[in-house]
Amino acid sequence: MSRRLSVMMLTWEFPPRIVGGISPHVYHLSKSLAKNGVKVYVVTCDFPGAPGHEILDGVEVFRIDSYKNPSSNFATWVYLMNINMQNEAAALVNRLNGEVDIFHAHDWLVANAGVGLKHVFRKPLLVTVHSTEVGRRNGIHSDYQRMIHETESWLTYEAWKVICCSDYMVSHVKWAFGLPEDKIRMIPNGVNAEEIGKAKKTDLSRFRRKFASPEEKIVLFVGRLVYEKGPHVLINAIPKVLQKVNAKFVIVGNGYMKEPLSSIARSKGLAHKVMFTGFVDDETLRSLQACADVSVVPSLYEPFGIVAIEAMAARSPVVVSDIGGLSEIVEHDKTGVKVYVNNPDSLAWGIVEVLLNEGYANRIKDNAYKRVQEKYNWDKIAQQTRDVYASVLDSYAKSFWAET
Amino acid sequence: MQVIILSWEYPPRVVGKLADYVRELAVRLVKNKIRVYVVTYHDFLTGLHEEPEGVRTCRITNPVKTHIGVLTWVLTLNQEAERVTANIYYDADKQINLIDAHDWHFIPAAVTLKKAFNLPFIYSIDSLEDHRSHGANSPFNMSIKSIEWLGMYEAKKILVKSEWMRDEAHRIYKVPIQKIKVVKPKSQTWMKDVLEAYMKTGGGSVSR
Repeated sequence: MSRRLSVMMLTWEFPPRIVGGISPHVYHLSKSLAKNGVKVYVVTCDFPGAPGHEILDGVEVFRIDSYKNPSSNFATWVYLMNINMQNEAAALVNRLNGEVDIFHAHDWLVANAGVGLKHVFRKPLLVTVHSTEVGRRNGIHSDYQRMIHETESWLTYEAWKVICCSDYMVSHVKWAFGLPEDKIRMIPNGVNAEEIGKAKKTDLSRFRRKFASPEEKIVLFVGRLVYEKGPHVLINAIPKVLQKVNAKFVIVGNGYMKEPLSSIARSKGLAHKVMFTGFVDDETLRSLQACADVSVVPSLYEPFGIVAIEAMAARSPVVVSDIGGLSEIVEHDKTGVKVYVNNPDSLAWGIVEVLLNEGYANRIKDNAYKRVQEKYNWDKIAQQTRDVYASVLDSYAKSFWAET
Repeated sequence: MQVIILSWEYPPRVVGKLADYVRELAVRLVKNKIRVYVVTYHDFLTGLHEEPEGVRTCRITNPVKTHIGVLTWVLTLNQEAERVTANIYYDADKQINLIDAHDWHFIPAAVTLKKAFNLPFIYSIDSLEDHRSHGANSPFNMSIKSIEWLGMYEAKKILVKSEWMRDEAHRIYKVPIQKIKVVKPKSQTWMKDVLEAYMKTGGGSVSR
């Protein structure tokens, strides 16, 4: 191939449109691929104020007219939006004289566009499965959910290779869609350790006083306040922690459990020890992570666990539940503390271990920072992704599609 | 001239009167020396076949079996229509002159193939959502109407079966009246009118 390898990312969210984790993932992956010599086009939904076409950190971004009429439900909107995404992407590939080597789709939200473009232009399709309907809903309970589940299955069936971000997700996706293992590749999610580490360098003592008094240790929870993230496990662990050490529990994020959780805290007489901040901006979050004495991730379900990696990158010691992606991220006693899932006593034990042993806390957070830099580094992830592209294009070159 | 007809119903799968109309059209086109491919839906009779009258059919099935309504059902079926239409297109060395899409169901596929291959399409209207749903404007109806609008906007030519429908398409979707052509099914000039529209749109000629 004389020209540069070129890939078209399909994603329903890309900055400044941020709904969940796909947006920052595709942004960092695309930027790092571009730095590694790959020509990257991103086709994504429009956003108020964001340009229809721009070059952002070496990545060419096209924002399509997402379907804006009222829709009966979210999935129907997704399918309708895909009509526009597919049409505009097809026109773009046509303008580029077909010089796109790979379509890379992110989750079922762009399944239709991805599958259609694959067949129309006869180019390989890759998919990154960030999460699954059966995982999100803990089972399939309605036709609506089954439709989404089957759409995910269809996308993984059509994809040349399926990328998952943890060994846990590899086995989950293999089970959920009946995929052969050699079709799946594990490439971890990444964080930008340098950017997150910046907050540590400034003096945060005044900032810290907004959340806790100087003699209180800060225990930080970051996440949506929903059942699968386990915030209730933390609330139930508080009395046990306070028996041993004076601490303030800062809970960042929103969700349907916010009210019930704060009323439980009040009824236990803990209102002065728990602070619900709601959603905070990135800068506040980084500063909070930097001055937290321990970060806890008590999730009951976690496909990857980016929040643990961000805490590790911010040099905050972590206590996580031993489940899903978290089990792989943290090595017990080396890069963090693992505790039993859905067990407040175990969680309290882990928090106290870290808060009462400064030497131990320092050792695990230094190890954790090193691990994050080695393993969850976007440059490395981009190279691994590039290797998957190369091997797919290798087998593609031997197929009859390469001759059309 | 080589034409790909997209229709969600075709015998043996008959839902309304469109199936028999499209079959009659395809057979008559073959008699007029046009190579005709019909891409249509069936639950299980999939694949490319040459039928006794010379029409080449390719039936597709839905890759997503569970649905919450006809709209989402149609929207995941379109990629299969694109897949087999693209296969026909490549197998014919890209020598396809035009696509004739009947009603709204495969408009998304027709538009994508137009954008990808510069392949013009005709939108043949049998009925419109506004009449089928008696003017209802729920998000469901509006979604189908938005697909009909897309078809009218992107098509090179719109064929209707009566002057009344021409005026309705013009009234509802503000389509320029010159873009719409009436081809009356039972009339003497039906085939001649269709062929004329095909030649004008697809730029091919009838090989004899």
